[in-house]
Amino acid sequence: MRTDAAQAGAIPEALLEPALTVGVVTPGSLDDQVLAFPEIKPPRQWYVGLAITLTALFIGLSFIGYTFVKGIGAWGNNSPVFWAFDIINFVFWVGIGHAGTLISAILFLFRKRWRNAIARFAEAMTIFAVMCAVVFPLIHIGRPWLAYWLFPYPNQRALWTNFRSPLLWDVFAVNTYFSVSLMFWYLGLIPDIASMRDRTTSKLRKVIYTILALGWRGAARHWQHYEKAYLLLAGLATGLVLSVHSVVSFDFATSVVPGWHMTIFPPYFVAGAIFAGFSMVVIVLVVVRETMQLKNLITVRHLDVMNKVILAMSCIMGYSYMMEGFTAWYSMNEFLHHGFMNIISGTYGWAGWLTIFCNILFPQILWFRKARTSYFWMILVALGVTVGMWFERFVIIVISLHQDYLPSAWRIYQPTMTDFGILLGTFGLFFTMVLLFARVLPVIATTEVKAILPDAQPSHHGDDHHV
Amino acid sequence: MSETSFAVLGIFDTPNALMAAIPKARAAKLGTVEAYTPYPIHGIDEALGLRKSPLGGMVLVMGIIGALTAFGFQYWISAVDYPIITGGKPAGSWEAFIPIMFEVTVLFATFTAGLGMLFLLNKLPFFGHPVLSSKAITGITRDRYVLALEAEDEGFDSAAAAQALRAAGAVEVEVLPAPDRSPFLTSDFILRTLGGIFVACLVAGIAIYSLTKWFPILKPMVYMQDQPRLNAQKASTFFKDGHGMQKPVPGTVARGYLPTATGTQEAAAALINPLPRTQEVFALGRKVFTTRCEVCHGAVGNGSGSLTAAYGAKAGNLQSQQFRDYPDGKIYWAIVNGKNAMPSHAPYLSERERWAVVHYVRALQRAQNAKDEDLKVVTP
Repeated sequence: MRTDAAQAGAIPEALLEPALTVGVVTPGSLDDQVLAFPEIKPPRQWYVGLAITLTALFIGLSFIGYTFVKGIGAWGNNSPVFWAFDIINFVFWVGIGHAGTLISAILFLFRKRWRNAIARFAEAMTIFAVMCAVVFPLIHIGRPWLAYWLFPYPNQRALWTNFRSPLLWDVFAVNTYFSVSLMFWYLGLIPDIASMRDRTTSKLRKVIYTILALGWRGAARHWQHYEKAYLLLAGLATGLVLSVHSVVSFDFATSVVPGWHMTIFPPYFVAGAIFAGFSMVVIVLVVVRETMQLKNLITVRHLDVMNKVILAMSCIMGYSYMMEGFTAWYSMNEFLHHGFMNIISGTYGWAGWLTIFCNILFPQILWFRKARTSYFWMILVALGVTVGMWFERFVIIVISLHQDYLPSAWRIYQPTMTDFGILLGTFGLFFTMVLLFARVLPVIATTEVKAILPDAQPSHHGDDHHV
Repeated sequence: MSETSFAVLGIFDTPNALMAAIPKARAAKLGTVEAYTPYPIHGIDEALGLRKSPLGGMVLVMGIIGALTAFGFQYWISAVDYPIITGGKPAGSWEAFIPIMFEVTVLFATFTAGLGMLFLLNKLPFFGHPVLSSKAITGITRDRYVLALEAEDEGFDSAAAAQALRAAGAVEVEVLPAPDRSPFLTSDFILRTLGGIFVACLVAGIAIYSLTKWFPILKPMVYMQDQPRLNAQKASTFFKDGHGMQKPVPGTVARGYLPTATGTQEAAAALINPLPRTQEVFALGRKVFTTRCEVCHGAVGNGSGSLTAAYGAKAGNLQSQQFRDYPDGKIYWAIVNGKNAMPSHAPYLSERERWAVVHYVRALQRAQNAKDEDLKVVTP
């Protein structure tokens, strides 16, 4: 929208914001490009992908079933490592979700308009990631059919929950996060679904989209309330995204295990979450951009900016790791010191070094513009960060627990097939949802992109009377 | 029905054209002016003269209510109804309530912003709205900008409205007939349903709570005192014999008291003194003998203790040939089980003390009946 000649004259070229789309994009062509996906037959790759993800999902479900039949003993976590894959995966998946909220809420508040093209997918990934995350607290309680005991409701046992337990804070934080993300996502979807309703020719789709669109008709009076609601939700979600992973970190910080009792945990966890989430978004976006021919909407600039965020987060993570070492050294706390030495030279020292390499050293390659815009490097870094962030949670949980204060209680933790199977299953769930989402709903927020196209808004510059 | 019309729609190609037409359409004063656009257009609410959205205030109020609800609920549960002392903190310590207060505040505010916008302010869902069945709707949600003059009363003149819109620059004009059906599944209906469900949940919750709390006849499993169990020193129906405390199973051995073969004197005769004959053991034996045995058996064990003079009863003379011929086990047996008038000393003496006494008695016997070679040993 700043392409008009008057603008270009007033602002030096170097300061001009690059275009958000490539080539000529009009509202009509945008609809034809993006909203048409559900109307055409999916390509063969889509079915192949779905077969793979559904297989992974099924494997996970079988192992969950096995856990229910056999009990939690099917997992490798044993005294003293009572927390292992279940909590690692929970923290990991909640973290993945944070990128979506960050893109959709925080960048919205900052008026970063490049977010518009990628916000929809990122938000969808948030919801799917939280769904994956919720699986773990649910099954790790051992008797998942009694999970409703976690909720405070008047019951026949006349018992209430303990509000001082961080695990109950988790119940509230994650449920609130899921509800708010879903609301935010659905609100953004309504105008797009209305567009799909009005362009579809299939009877069945018409009925479904009609119901989902709630009779949205784009009236100016509605847009006014809608924009206000969106702004408010973005503000609320911003506070929430910072709080959710902080609350997750409280699970650790309120205990007395050496290495868990640090004030740096909440910001450190939030930064790690954004880090992991952005990497996942990069991976998925690159695939979507290539397979769905969205190169003109998800531009190289988008990927470039995303990679810059990943780089920034990597530096914050590096600072946090150094702080851990510094605290261990400066506090002169024997147990903290032992814990830190375990990370870099203990039995699981390889995990510690893998984390440091994947999260801190390798992403530094993104300082080069070439790497930021090359699929090869950005995918490599993103996969590395995903692995590294998973192992970071492994380091925090397993290394801290397997050797704490009492040497007589030190044990080596060994995950079982069931642990790996369930982890694989959540990846299956996540990517199955991503594939299904790409088929039935608009993958790009067309309404938001339309609003930032050139000439989309009435011109306020120059002379209004001429128009 | 077709006589009256709901609205007249004027279709424009660009947002600029729409914005320019709005003042003209408003000036015509033919009906309510409404714009339909595919995305929000900046400045359109001022042009249409819309009031500011009250959503911010609603969200603020509901957010505060959410915070107070969360605090009140947690405080009432943790300090009043079901006090739990955790980590030694007072039941009413509120610091730990803050995370949940924050979450509930956000939850209330979010639902107000989202559902309040949809149901309350925008009156959605509204599936039967005439604009939705217009020809222009496919353009509205795609790339067309529509200005509508909507009928306010019976006197709406659709021809004049169409004329005015054309004059304002509309590319195309569409007259919308009034709907002949009343809309179904309106926002009012949904709000009433949701309200009903909420009230039902509230009533059911309070009912269940008060029933279990104030009418304990329901006896939920929380009353653990009513389970079948044993009370020490009390009768119980749990066992057939009606005793709360049961006799130990035959052969039960108390901790630290492994049985020795002391059933009969003969069985005991086979026992061998496990203690070595050291100075320490003799010292212990002497101490115990002096404390417990000397009063009857006398300082040298000859049966003339101080009690003999007082009561006339004569204790066994340990120096007699009979006792000197006893194996160690028989003496031990007598200490454990008692003999004639002598009661059992087992409760007062440990295993070690009993055997130490046996050693000491042997020493007394040898001292009183020393042989020549004994002297040789002592005086080299």
